[in-house]
Amino acid sequence: MNRDNLKHYISKDVHVEFSQNAGIFEVPVSRIKEVAHDLHSKNCSLKLITATDERKEQGCFKIWYVFGAPTEHSFIIPYIQLKNTEQFPSISSVIRGSWNYERKIQTFFGLIPVGHPDPRPIILHENWPENLYPLQKNVPWNTRPKDAQRNEENLSLPADKSNKNGETRRTYTFQEVGGEGMYEIPVGPIHAGIIEPGHFRFSVAGEEIILLEPRLGFTHKGSEKLFETLPPNDMARLSEKISGDSSFSHSLAFCQALEQLSDVIAPKRARYLRVIYAELERLANHCGDIGAIMIDTGFNFGGANGARLREMVMRLNERLTGSRFLRGVNVRGGVTKDIGIEEKQMLSSDLAHLLKDFSEVMKIAENSASLLNRLKGTGVLSYKIAVDHGATGIAAKAVGLKNDARIDFPYAAYDEIHLNTVETEESGDVYARFQVRIKEVRASIKLIEQALKTLPDGPIETKTTGIFKKNAVDISVVEGWRGEILYFLKTDSLGNIERVAPRDPSFVNWSLLGYAGAHNVVPDFPLINKSFNLSYTGNDL
Amino acid sequence: MMILAWLTQLVFVPALSPLCIGIIKKIKARFQNRQGATIFQPYKDIWKLMHKDEIISSDASWIFRFAPCIIFAATLVIGVSIPLFASFLRNTFTGDLLVVVYTLALGTFFLALAGMDTGSAFGGFGSSREMTVAALAEGGLILSLFTTALMSGTTNLFAISDAEILLATQFFLPSILAFAGFFIILLAETGRFPFDNPATHLELTMIHEAMILEYSGKRLALIEWAAANKFFIFAALGINLFFPYGIAQNAGVNAIFLGVIALLVKIFILCFIIAIIESTMAKFRFFRLPDLLVTSFILSAVAIGLIQI
Repeated sequence: MNRDNLKHYISKDVHVEFSQNAGIFEVPVSRIKEVAHDLHSKNCSLKLITATDERKEQGCFKIWYVFGAPTEHSFIIPYIQLKNTEQFPSISSVIRGSWNYERKIQTFFGLIPVGHPDPRPIILHENWPENLYPLQKNVPWNTRPKDAQRNEENLSLPADKSNKNGETRRTYTFQEVGGEGMYEIPVGPIHAGIIEPGHFRFSVAGEEIILLEPRLGFTHKGSEKLFETLPPNDMARLSEKISGDSSFSHSLAFCQALEQLSDVIAPKRARYLRVIYAELERLANHCGDIGAIMIDTGFNFGGANGARLREMVMRLNERLTGSRFLRGVNVRGGVTKDIGIEEKQMLSSDLAHLLKDFSEVMKIAENSASLLNRLKGTGVLSYKIAVDHGATGIAAKAVGLKNDARIDFPYAAYDEIHLNTVETEESGDVYARFQVRIKEVRASIKLIEQALKTLPDGPIETKTTGIFKKNAVDISVVEGWRGEILYFLKTDSLGNIERVAPRDPSFVNWSLLGYAGAHNVVPDFPLINKSFNLSYTGNDL
Repeated sequence: MMILAWLTQLVFVPALSPLCIGIIKKIKARFQNRQGATIFQPYKDIWKLMHKDEIISSDASWIFRFAPCIIFAATLVIGVSIPLFASFLRNTFTGDLLVVVYTLALGTFFLALAGMDTGSAFGGFGSSREMTVAALAEGGLILSLFTTALMSGTTNLFAISDAEILLATQFFLPSILAFAGFFIILLAETGRFPFDNPATHLELTMIHEAMILEYSGKRLALIEWAAANKFFIFAALGINLFFPYGIAQNAGVNAIFLGVIALLVKIFILCFIIAIIESTMAKFRFFRLPDLLVTSFILSAVAIGLIQI
């Protein structure tokens, strides 16, 4: 990180604190909109907005605006302090991507984004008591609020009736489309297949989708609150469960954050191994998704083979680490599982075999006119929408945005093992997202081979003391297979971690689904949804 | 012998239809490198469903309750009204082409009503899609069957299959065209690719499965069985009207035995073709389905134009 370069982004009169990969500075509440706009116009993309409750030590709430400066490989984090007020200015009028972050702060911290166009709560549902904000420090993590039970009972009341205490049913208002011939289809949260729960409200004219509004939160588990109560090693285990299919990437992002907080650098061999494991995870999920996209079009041959290829990688994972999902591999200071010489040879021959197998299947798929016809032109996401919402990962790459944390914010050994280019497509449809995955599978295999070839000798774990910097803010980013996974950590004046805010790429990309789905026919929606394949649990936390 | 042949004809369709479905599923599984369930699995499924409890929505009316019986009964009646393995069984009362087509439509009608009856969103759009497909398929079906009727000079299905003149030189082209048209309708009416995916778990893409989403237990078993019957009926119609070779033309034991074997072999070939289609292509987009159905209509219309008597 070049501190002088970073200063170009920040006005000269502020005092900037530098951490390993970020410049942090306070902004007066009244100026945040202007600062955010300024950073945004300098090609810094908004990565995360989150709040911390520091009333005990500093007597204020703080709101952190994490911007990424890809050309500097570092982050710029302006923050505001809210003393004696629960209101802060919404920046959604200058950065559309801030919309859901601000809603989340409102729901979980009770801080009100003034000027925000959508005041509805996010993630928490009608059974959650009003005026109880779970991420405030005074709310206990392990007791169920009394009101929640009563509110659940009220949910069964008819809309216009009240119960004996005079309470009525609380409702969530979906957006409505008026006009003749319009009708609404409620779908989920329970689906016909075995998938995670989520509700989708379609407003349709015949078979054409006019408006699609996802409503999530059914798998909210209070993970962010739980992070505040666990010792660091257990936190790493918890981070693996934020979104199970990205176990390795999530724990990698979290462990890297811990390492930065205690000024530890993982040994070189560990950083190479992390690249190998992370790419294996990408490989498994991309193969599975490629198959799943094909099976959703009814192309059974491709579907069966996608599942088979994924299984091959999963078994490879199990053989290498004892865990199909690569769990328990990342610890702070390195990794727990090494790759021996014999395994190294087996891995490279297995990968060569996998690549050949994969290419054969893809050749057949690419020659199927009926498959391509279903994929092309379906679920088009426009470039403008993707940019405005700060799209990340596959959805962004499929519209031609060259964003990839492995290049923009190199971590592990990605600064030494070079990814030639970000694999992109232009058209933004299901086919583009399908193609990006195919290209990334090939790129991942190459990366693993490269890492295996240059794998340095040495230890795989550095012992750490477990003492963290005090009053520090820490940001760590990993390019998971879905997109950028971010972890925001904050320590208090004793060096205890007082806030962990994980951000799964799904949280950003869910807001794109409605745009991609509009003006398609209803039977194409499952395919569009599958081409994004977002995590419900990663969004709901 | 006659009575025995009639009895066989009566139980033939319901007894063998689940086997067809099982065979298709097995072939598809093998194409996907899977072992697949046994070909008798559909029988086991029906048996299992027959012993399960039912849940019926409190909003459901008598239509929902009776529709499975009506649909199943319709397929039974048609099962005895079409030539299967013997063309000498002249059923003059219900063996007429129009009676068969519209008795089938009656089943579709009640299935669509039952889909809408509970008021669930899926049943509604399943029914609306089914009606769209059925309305467009009807023209193609009638015209392709009329082609055979014109060529043989009768609308009695037994007589048409008895004539065995369809692939004769002067009728070769029209009967091939009409069969192509009929085959498209077969896929549409029985909910196979590229119209519908019988194996899907995605509620938003379903047609047939969406209509029966609210059914469970015995009624579901009846509906599944009726759907299998319908598939068998269409397969047998296509085979016996266009390729009736081997069908028993007299009541001799040998002839009947040969007729049964010929039918089973031809149905197996048809199942194999359908399994190949379902394994090698993707489903069509919903708004492209009308194109395909209109193609079927045009094929049959051209076939009629080509008939020279």
